[in-house]
Amino acid sequence: MNTIVANVIAIYRRELQSYFASPFAYIIAAVFWLLSGFFFTAILMGPEGLIAQANFRDQMGITTPPIDVAYQFLSYFLGILGSLSLFILPMLSMGLYAEERKRGTLELLATSPLTNWVVALGKLLGVLTFFLTMVLPLLIYQAIVLSAANPPASPTVMFLGHFGLILMAAAILSLGMFISSLTDSTILAAILTFALILLLWVVDLIANSLAGPIGEALKHLSLIKNYTTLTQGIFDSSSIIVFITYILLGLFLTAQSIEAFRFQRS
Amino acid sequence: MIEVEHLSKVYGSTPAIQDITFFVEKGEILGFLGPNGAGKTTTMRILTGYLPATSGTAKIAGFDVHENSMEVRQRIGYLPETPPLYPDMTVEGFLTFVARIKGVAAGDRSQRVESAMKRCNILEKRKVLIRKLSKGFRQRVGIAQAIVHDPPAIVLDEPTVGLDPRQIIEVRNLIKSLAGEHTIILSTHILPEVSMTCNKVAIINRGRVVATNTPEQLMTALAGESGYELEVEGRFDQARLLQIPGVKAVDALADETLPENRSKLRLTLEAGHDPGREIAAMIVGSGLGLYELRRTRVSLEDVFLELTTEEKTINLAEADQAYERAQAAQREPSEPAEADNSTSQRSDPDPTAINPSPADADPEGDVR
Repeated sequence: MNTIVANVIAIYRRELQSYFASPFAYIIAAVFWLLSGFFFTAILMGPEGLIAQANFRDQMGITTPPIDVAYQFLSYFLGILGSLSLFILPMLSMGLYAEERKRGTLELLATSPLTNWVVALGKLLGVLTFFLTMVLPLLIYQAIVLSAANPPASPTVMFLGHFGLILMAAAILSLGMFISSLTDSTILAAILTFALILLLWVVDLIANSLAGPIGEALKHLSLIKNYTTLTQGIFDSSSIIVFITYILLGLFLTAQSIEAFRFQRS
Repeated sequence: MIEVEHLSKVYGSTPAIQDITFFVEKGEILGFLGPNGAGKTTTMRILTGYLPATSGTAKIAGFDVHENSMEVRQRIGYLPETPPLYPDMTVEGFLTFVARIKGVAAGDRSQRVESAMKRCNILEKRKVLIRKLSKGFRQRVGIAQAIVHDPPAIVLDEPTVGLDPRQIIEVRNLIKSLAGEHTIILSTHILPEVSMTCNKVAIINRGRVVATNTPEQLMTALAGESGYELEVEGRFDQARLLQIPGVKAVDALADETLPENRSKLRLTLEAGHDPGREIAAMIVGSGLGLYELRRTRVSLEDVFLELTTEEKTINLAEADQAYERAQAAQREPSEPAEADNSTSQRSDPDPTAINPSPADADPEGDVR
């Protein structure tokens, strides 16, 4: 057990180190921060922003229905972050295995006393940590803004929303890791991952057009639906379970695909 | 230490290796010699647990590579054909990572990394990113990576490929210095490398081990002692050549480039004899033209060629027949060509050439 944990940590540290040593990762982070910063200001302080709307209502003397600017802001902003992640996450996960295959380092990992599960878990935790460091600065300026809210904003919404963001990111990264393990082209991995999560993103649109139990079942698979539930501050265990299932599925498929790759390669 | 028995691997329907068996004792260096595509890498990948074998067993330090894969992986160091390096890590960082995943205890790690770097002479590059290293240094980091956990068995796939001559010598010396405490298998298609570094050689061709021995014994056992190669004109008498004391065997060599009427012979000598003078005297004395008399020293290269290429020598009876036919069909410049034809058919027997008499006789017997 101890060695398993030690091995996961070894893989995790190497993975994380490679992100922080890569200019590419910094570019992705910079773009993410730039865009999220832009939307942050636009939602809050833009000409059509929430503050402008609230001021307008005040001037017109409209008091019903009451609006909770802090809450509205959070759910808008988290929605934007979710959409941005759709583009960012495939770029983070594309190299996880494709690079190892291309460089031949997969042979090192596969001939070391590690199981495929350990490698996959270490890698997933590594890339997730990198995503966390991308989200962390945003949390700080949200906290600053929300602390000025009157009446005070509920921290539950903020935490649950971000918890949902991280959970969804983990699910996407896990599936992206599996796709990355199928090819040694990083670009192909990114494109396929993007296509897959786009499909999972909008699957409820398809589900709506399907009647019956299949449509119902498909609705639960939708990433956006489960994510929105959490960003609205609703603690829905079924949404959490869906994300965790995606994460485990990605890990399982990755381990299997690496095993199969070794069995068939010529 | 390393026991490989009846190992086979089939990709789809093409066999990559068939029935490979060899043993390596503790502290030995086994050279795995063969042309490209002979199955060297496949065998090594099976030994390291990267690929599963189709049948047969391989054991390292008593552990089966398939059933006790994790045990084996801890006890083996492996340098694949392309060194598995992370370009964005420093040499020291990379080796520490490898030590970690190979299960070196935290307390010993820095000391093991240090000694592996010292061994491979890369201490001065410890803080350098691997991406910035030259090919020679990368190869050394690759070897350091294979020995960092002090494994009893080391598998090196083409460790000197792509290096310049000076680096090759350094790498060979490094490998030699590792023997004794480690058991090493290295693959190569460069012959001198085997005689220089290995104390045992397994020659592999088309997925089969065709010989295993020490380089010295292989040289003597397979190609005999030294000999002469001669080119003569006219009809030679093999019996008279064989009568010369010290001549053990006479082989005719096929050579398409020879002009008609000439043939090339190889004489194998008994140890301790050197009848060069008598051979020349006999040929000249019997009125034959002597165009070349050359001493041949058997090198591992010859052994290798003899074992891995289709047989080039033909026996004397066939050569005689070919000569006779050539003589009969006067002025037809096909003698060497024919001799060569009979050579190439020998390895791939033509059923129509052997079978006609019984095949013809049987139906006739039925009719009668």
